[in-house]
Amino acid sequence: MLQYLIILLDDKSVSYCHYELPSDVSREESLMPLDTLRAGIVFAMKENLNIQFVYPEQALSAEYAEVIESIDHTKIKPEAQAKEADVLVLAEWKKQIPDDVEGATCIIRASRKELQENLEQVKDLLGKVMRLNVVLTDIEAFKDEDVAGYQSLLEALSDLLIDQFKIGRMVQLNLLTDRLLLTQMNNCGAGDTTLSLAPNGKFYLCPAFYYDDPEQDVGNLKDGLNIKNRQLMRLDHAPICRHCDAYQCKRCIWMNCRLTLDANTPSHQQCVVAHVGRNASRNLLKKMAEQGIHMSDTHEIKEINYLDPFNNYKKWK
Amino acid sequence: MAKSITFIVTKDCQLACKYCYLVGKNTKERMSWEVAKQAIDYILDREEEFREESVIWDFIGGEPFLEIDLIDKICDYLKTEMYRRNHHWFNSYRFSFSTNGINYHTEKVQRFIEKNRNHLSIGITIDGTERKHDLNRIWKTPEMEQGIMPKAEEERGSYKDVVKNIPLWLEQFPGAGTKVTISSADLPYIKESVLHLYSLGIKEVNINCVFEDVWKEGDDQLFEEQLTELADAIIDGRLYEDHACSFFQEHIGKPMDRERDNQNWCGAGMMLAVDAAGMFYPCTRFAQYSLRSKSAWIIGNIHDGIDKNKLRPFLTLDRCTQSTEECITCEVASGCAWCQGENFDAADTHTVYQRSTAICKMHKARVRANNYYWNKLFRKLELQEYEEQKRKSNCKACEI
Repeated sequence: MLQYLIILLDDKSVSYCHYELPSDVSREESLMPLDTLRAGIVFAMKENLNIQFVYPEQALSAEYAEVIESIDHTKIKPEAQAKEADVLVLAEWKKQIPDDVEGATCIIRASRKELQENLEQVKDLLGKVMRLNVVLTDIEAFKDEDVAGYQSLLEALSDLLIDQFKIGRMVQLNLLTDRLLLTQMNNCGAGDTTLSLAPNGKFYLCPAFYYDDPEQDVGNLKDGLNIKNRQLMRLDHAPICRHCDAYQCKRCIWMNCRLTLDANTPSHQQCVVAHVGRNASRNLLKKMAEQGIHMSDTHEIKEINYLDPFNNYKKWK
Repeated sequence: MAKSITFIVTKDCQLACKYCYLVGKNTKERMSWEVAKQAIDYILDREEEFREESVIWDFIGGEPFLEIDLIDKICDYLKTEMYRRNHHWFNSYRFSFSTNGINYHTEKVQRFIEKNRNHLSIGITIDGTERKHDLNRIWKTPEMEQGIMPKAEEERGSYKDVVKNIPLWLEQFPGAGTKVTISSADLPYIKESVLHLYSLGIKEVNINCVFEDVWKEGDDQLFEEQLTELADAIIDGRLYEDHACSFFQEHIGKPMDRERDNQNWCGAGMMLAVDAAGMFYPCTRFAQYSLRSKSAWIIGNIHDGIDKNKLRPFLTLDRCTQSTEECITCEVASGCAWCQGENFDAADTHTVYQRSTAICKMHKARVRANNYYWNKLFRKLELQEYEEQKRKSNCKACEI
């Protein structure tokens, strides 16, 4: 069932997920027209959807602000527009952590290499934010020989978290703490629980599909929704994922489509990255127990002997 | 289990069968020896990845025997390489062909057959009686390549060119079966065609309706009538004793359990196909010349290898995930087939997880005729047995 509508206020709205903004988004008329914005809000109201507005770097006029404030919503904003952001997308690694991140939920898009090179900044961020979401930008390039390196990176991040926990700051880092708290899948939900509205007035499964090819729409504000094979966005129609307990995995259907050509099937890379993360969460939980750190609502994570649940497919069939 | 590896050696054919799903046939895409050799080397170099205990080297077109010189070279190389590498497929392989039969008698094809006799399966497609065969299986004309179709009276059927090779084929492959395809226009000729094929000496007729959405109002009734008449002819003529027709199978038309009977029907993804460009596909039906409305599902090529990510959707396919609730709970579900390539081509999105149901009413008609066949046959055999027992007990009584 649909629950969320992501509204891209502009073609240059900040990317808060795996997709890159195309280099040619310098189109002059890139802002969502006001009429479209109003119609999008009305659509969300009628469908009982929570709206998440995604902002561009440039400031919006008072007229836009007024329309946006006419409905309860969440603001996903770039650093340049940090004021009143509910979720702040950090543009780059900075030696000096901006004050805006204090107590905030922040997103940073980074490759594993960038993360490794900026552990000091991660440490500083974890000391200030309430929650840090790291969106890995190089999952597609992940190779089996990268497993050990990624395990070490997550171990280093675990140590940073432990340091925070020890001083009583129960900060969240999506890569490690999400799995501790989950007992079932908590995926992105594109096309199932979440839908995106682009500045052109058309709906997309998620912003990534819009930026890939605006022709991949699943309806528009005038004619309504037309999501074909919507069942394939659901967990029960994903043969690998429905057998999986890497509950923190976003199960990115855009990446599924790119790498396996089918929306309901994740690639080897996605599964391995998710499982290295899952196992790192298990290790973190163990470390916390050893050091007498308690976090409420955590759950035991079982030991498993695989990194890609696909390897078990013959057992399910 | 055997690995099926298909060489699409040409996309050309002498015929232009009206029901052919190969919408992109052409004379240009012919496999070169270099591509074939690289494909073979790629596969044989990776023995650890291809662990199936045996292999079927399959050759398809268009019409494969148009490329008999290449095929002969490929097969020689395969045999030499499997032996040289002490590959586990050496002595556990077959060469398989589906041919229109037109070139079957030619010297080159016959020499090839002689050379590879013990490792060869060849199926010749003959569709039944002359009028049924020639309804669809017509010769290609040069104008067709420009998109100009001949008038009905100018069409030239291929029956006579094929039937003349059937005796030689059956002499060389006595147990061979033929494959018959049924489209809407063929329905009135099913009974006469199957009986005709039996009369030619073909004991096994593998026959199926096309999976494409071609079925018209009333086709299911006509189909059921034809199959019922065929059932009568087979049973009354005692043909069931040494002939088979794949339409009649004892265990089809039953409900299926969601968990126990959840296997995929088709082997796409477990198979491998390679074309003239050196592209790999999960089966030939995913090559561009087979697809009406989708782009080819390419899983790699002979230079860069196979991208296993692109095989994952196929290897995890099961019946229920790709079926509608109506299909899952269908009371006559068993035996209802599908082609993964046609499912993909007809799907609303880029997926192999949307089962095409175009064949639904034809399957139901087949199930009704199939039930009739088995009820009639069992009753006949039961009565025969009863008569036999009665005769025996009468004899015993006489002895007393």
